Amino acid sequence: MTTFKGNFGDYKIISILGECSEGKAAVHLAKHIPSSTMVALKRFYMDKMTNAEQTYSVELEIATAKQLQHPNILQYHTNFVHGFDVYVVSPLMAYCSCRDLLNQHFNNGLPQQAILIILRDLLCALAYMHRNGYIHRAIKASHVLVSETGKSCLTGFKYSCLRVLKGKWQNNVHSFLSDPKPVLNWTSPELLEQNLQGYNDQSDMYSVGMFICELANGSEPFLGMACTLMLTEKLRGCVPQLLDCTTVPRQTEGDCVISPIIVNRRFSKDLHEVTGLCLSRNPNHRPKAGKLLNHSLFKSIKKRTLSLNELLKPALPLSDKVAFNREDVENLDVNHFSNLALCTWDF
Amino acid sequence: MPLFGKSQKGPAEVVKALKEAVNALEKGDKKAEKAQEDVSKNLVLIKNMLYGTSESEPQTDIIVAQLAQELYNSNLLLLLVQNLNRIDFEGKKDVAQVFNNILRRQIGTRSPTVEYICTKSEILYTLMSGYEHQEIALNCGTMLRECARYEALAKIMLYSEDFYNFFRYVEVSTFDIASDAFSTFKELLTRHKLLCADFLETNYDKVFNHYQRLLNSENYVTRRQSLKLLGELLLDRHNFTVMTRYISNPDNLKLMMNMLKERSRNIQFEAFHVFKVFVANPNKPKPILDILLRNQDKLVEFLMKFHTDRAEDEQFNDEKAYLIRQIKELKPLPGH
Repeated sequence: MTTFKGNFGDYKIISILGECSEGKAAVHLAKHIPSSTMVALKRFYMDKMTNAEQTYSVELEIATAKQLQHPNILQYHTNFVHGFDVYVVSPLMAYCSCRDLLNQHFNNGLPQQAILIILRDLLCALAYMHRNGYIHRAIKASHVLVSETGKSCLTGFKYSCLRVLKGKWQNNVHSFLSDPKPVLNWTSPELLEQNLQGYNDQSDMYSVGMFICELANGSEPFLGMACTLMLTEKLRGCVPQLLDCTTVPRQTEGDCVISPIIVNRRFSKDLHEVTGLCLSRNPNHRPKAGKLLNHSLFKSIKKRTLSLNELLKPALPLSDKVAFNREDVENLDVNHFSNLALCTWDF
Repeated sequence: MPLFGKSQKGPAEVVKALKEAVNALEKGDKKAEKAQEDVSKNLVLIKNMLYGTSESEPQTDIIVAQLAQELYNSNLLLLLVQNLNRIDFEGKKDVAQVFNNILRRQIGTRSPTVEYICTKSEILYTLMSGYEHQEIALNCGTMLRECARYEALAKIMLYSEDFYNFFRYVEVSTFDIASDAFSTFKELLTRHKLLCADFLETNYDKVFNHYQRLLNSENYVTRRQSLKLLGELLLDRHNFTVMTRYISNPDNLKLMMNMLKERSRNIQFEAFHVFKVFVANPNKPKPILDILLRNQDKLVEFLMKFHTDRAEDEQFNDEKAYLIRQIKELKPLPGH
């Protein structure tokens, strides 16, 4: 097994994959020199973070990830300080995030089978987190990464909170997100409401519903809507739907042009139903992550008609774009990656 | 059918079973694999008694009291902490959860577990040394910070020789472990104001000798965190005596003046908050006054240009204006 040490000299940065947290962090593609393996190197610019809350969120993100061990949760190999920056080394997720896939190849959304395969992995990760008393609080496409073999991993733990507090299991949590802006559109109404009742892990299931819509439709939920309007919509129980021939009329009036992809496709009844249940206004009506895994919805995956890699074509894993494990990597032209630099990772 | 055999195992049985399993694990013979399983299983049982599960409530106070008593009598808490690195990943977290729950146990105003640990301080020393081992450092950290909430336990830790190991732990290259150690370190030095002030006064030389090394650390995060904490310590009125002593030493002033000019803006800013105390002191000792006088013009000019983009930070700007005024008005002591 390869051991990754916290020596900056062990890593050669090849290119930038994206920026996150408003330019206060970046993700690099890098080579771990001792083992010649490619890794993702997340770099936090600590000196750009001026208040204690920001630096604390870096500590929290890493510490939380370290307390979670599951095949569908992104593991960190190691982390270290170099210069003014903190670096985190993790396995390279060759398809980047689901958000990147949507941005680059699937503007109108992913095919149903791909959604199901990704969703199942996400639910496995979430069931594990909930069992261990964590609420993720930031389920969204940019926090789900897809590996070269088509396995999805959850990340984005700077938003997570623990229900075990002061030596007690809290039935309901009341804390609010410290930097909520990037995740607000996926956040459940009860969390946003901040009332005395608080919220629990079923809040994540609401975000799962938003996540399914995001993967299916290609766009972020409530994109471009003012926050206050988004909140009132959610409180009234207004939620997005999966756009297909059953929900979008073929004939539209005026100039509104709807992609033929959308009006010609059909998501299964099951998927529509599950999405609706996840987006229930009442948290108790939403399915539990662990229970949802047994839904007949996922039976179709078992037939294994197509692998995720096939389904994601024309998107290719980074490995196919890069000469891996070769000396070529040393001389790699960074311009090769210009299209990748456009993608923003938001862990 | 419950998951693990008979569900109604009493506290005494579970504690006994867990102790046997941990002992077997410690021996590390061929039964170790089975022992590992038994440890995990019984830890979960104990955890569920204390926390409840999604299906069941926590056990009644009587059961919990029995459980706690068994844990004290069997010396199991120490044994668990000593063998933490041998327990599997989820088990390590369960140990911490069990420990933290039992620690908070109260009978009226008494905290029986705290009283128990006072008589078994080895538990605390073992937890502190947990920072030596990557794989258990964070688990030990959560338990240590829970302990540090209690003055009696904080006192044992502060006054032990092992406390000085923290100066090493907060500087290790692995960021998350160093940060965790720093939070514990900070908790110990700030939580119980009178205890901390007393400790810093009586151990001033030793503590600040060590502290100096943190301020000069190669590790940017350590340097920044320790400088910030220094500012907080000096500005806490409980630490008045310590502060007076610190700001009488010209070497400390030199260090801060150099840090004002560091490349990192955050270090500059934190250094400012320590530097201001030297200037604001109405009874500056001669060596301090001399340094300030020698640099009078330079300091005024420097401060005029210092972090001018923080226009919205009123307090900072007021303080800066005050310092500039003070430095401008500095005069040599009469008779010199």
